[in-house]
Amino acid sequence: MNFPRSIRWKLQLWYGGLLLLLLAGFGFTAYQLESARQLRHIDEELQQRLPMLVDSQRPIPGDRDRRQFRLSTRDALLFDQTGNESFYYVVWLKHGEPVTRSTTAPEDVPQPKAGDPPNRLRGDVRESFLFPGPGDCVLVGRSIAPDLAGLRQFAWWLCAVGVTVFAAGLAGGGWLIIKALRPIQTISAAAQSIATGDLSQRIQTQDTESELGQLATVLNTTFARLEASFSRQSRFTADAAHELRTPLAVILLQSQNGLAADHLTEEQREAFLATQRAAQRMRRLIESLLTLARLDSGELSDNRAPCELNRVAEETVRLLQPLAAEHGASLTTELAPAHCVGNADELAQVVTNLVGNALVHNRSGVSVHVKVLIEDQHAVLTVRDTGQGIAPADISHLFERFYRVEKARTTAGGHTGLGLAITQAIVTAHGGMIVAESRVGEGTVMTVRLPLALRGADST
Amino acid sequence: MRLLVVEDEPDLLTGLLRALRKDGYAVDSAADGEEGLHKALSTDYDAIVLDVMLPLLDGWELLARLRKKKSTPVLMLTARDRSADRVRGLDSGADDYLVKPFDLPELRARLRALIRRSAQQARPVVQIGDVCIDTAARTVTRAGAPVFLTAREFVMLEYLARHQGEVVTRTDLYEHLFDESEETQSNLLDVHVFNLRKKLGTEFIVTRRGHGYCIE
Repeated sequence: MNFPRSIRWKLQLWYGGLLLLLLAGFGFTAYQLESARQLRHIDEELQQRLPMLVDSQRPIPGDRDRRQFRLSTRDALLFDQTGNESFYYVVWLKHGEPVTRSTTAPEDVPQPKAGDPPNRLRGDVRESFLFPGPGDCVLVGRSIAPDLAGLRQFAWWLCAVGVTVFAAGLAGGGWLIIKALRPIQTISAAAQSIATGDLSQRIQTQDTESELGQLATVLNTTFARLEASFSRQSRFTADAAHELRTPLAVILLQSQNGLAADHLTEEQREAFLATQRAAQRMRRLIESLLTLARLDSGELSDNRAPCELNRVAEETVRLLQPLAAEHGASLTTELAPAHCVGNADELAQVVTNLVGNALVHNRSGVSVHVKVLIEDQHAVLTVRDTGQGIAPADISHLFERFYRVEKARTTAGGHTGLGLAITQAIVTAHGGMIVAESRVGEGTVMTVRLPLALRGADST
Repeated sequence: MRLLVVEDEPDLLTGLLRALRKDGYAVDSAADGEEGLHKALSTDYDAIVLDVMLPLLDGWELLARLRKKKSTPVLMLTARDRSADRVRGLDSGADDYLVKPFDLPELRARLRALIRRSAQQARPVVQIGDVCIDTAARTVTRAGAPVFLTAREFVMLEYLARHQGEVVTRTDLYEHLFDESEETQSNLLDVHVFNLRKKLGTEFIVTRRGHGYCIE
């Protein structure tokens, strides 16, 4: 699987990123809200204590203008000196004792200026203040270090929950993505096997309402139309070939009748012979087209039996020896036992076509070597010739229908241009593959790979 | 040897008629299935060449109806050559099967084989005394020396030889040597018999007066 490119990983990545963003946002907000709430609570506590401090100013006996600050014992208890939440106060009086402070108050509390907001934060200390008269100031404060520690703990807790939720979310999302993409895999598998030629393949869908179900239905309809048009085409080829047979029979019969007539001039004889040759070529063409149409429609595939590729090759080569002798060629074999499942006639056709091509399309004196061996769980047939070779430009078109390498001599030797197409069609119908390799001036190797017969089939 | 060709393609039919008549066969023709069946039932042909695709009554049906009454050898001629078609043809009573387009020599050879088999002769060469008849090469030798026969004479000799030891009536000979299109003169047979005797020896064909001819 292609990690950065696959939809699955892209989705997973996007989903993970989004989830992370959401969790971070949620955690941050929760933290902010909690810290604001705590601060508000502290401020309330501080401000509750301010009025009693204002009320605790008393005039200094004997001095009406000056005042002093005296906290009652009961109120002093509110400034518990040892408790965890230890409040302190600082009082500045314009007229009177300049600064009065509780024992827990820090030394360096600066005096707030008039017009400052009623709360302030200094380090981990929170302070509230009030200005009861011009120049007077009452301040209550407390350390919020324990609260900050609590908040930190809260933050850690948020992180832990976030990570857990993120992990669970990723796993769940991954599962959902896999589940959502599974139909695509089914579709892709079906499309793949259609691409390799099995047009009868369809996508299995139970759920036709979902988007992918609808896609599958659309694709199945397309596949069905493809198959129909393909089979229509191959049926058309077959029908056309059949329809051509009767008129061709007339041509062949009449030309043969004509040749048998008495008192023919040389010119007439030539004309009848040419007609007969053309008719014979058309006949081979029609037979080849029919064979191809049949292979295309998979009609012959049922005619399968275990057969020995080496035996097939041996017999076919023996039949081809006279042709080799005619071309002054040497035809040799090297055959190891190889069992495969197939139609022996069709496989013989493969050998005939390959060896025939090697003999016919090369200058006389070529040597052709036919080899059967087992390689990588395949029965392998190679036909190697030492002929003129095939140009790289031609190699890729070699198995195309009606493609001929020697364009100038298109019809020489009665070749239809379908031999290798048929060969390939047969090999493909047997679940195998055929490869051509060639070097100009050195020769050509045609390699056919067929699946080996299963062990059980060997004994039969 | 009298044949029936049932074929709806006129050019193919005339070509077949010409080719087979040239070989000395008496050949009748039918252009559709019903006519073909009618003729096949009313005349004892030595063989029938039957196209599968026919108007009115197709080759399969014709064959099926014919087989209920007669076992005339039938060679099916068809443009369909899937093995299923061949199996069907042979199973429904056809004796042989040839796919269009066919080679004339092959059609001839198959017809000869068909006729030979129906006369229960496995070999194409018939030896009677010092006369040797090669039905495949259509040649006759007498004591090793070739004897030249016309097509009609050869067919007559072949027919008599196939029924060696039996008396073949003049009607039989007319039926198998001449087709429906020929205006046969009654003395034509005598002319052929005279010529055969001249070429193969007077005693070769025996006349059974009132019955017919016989090769013993």
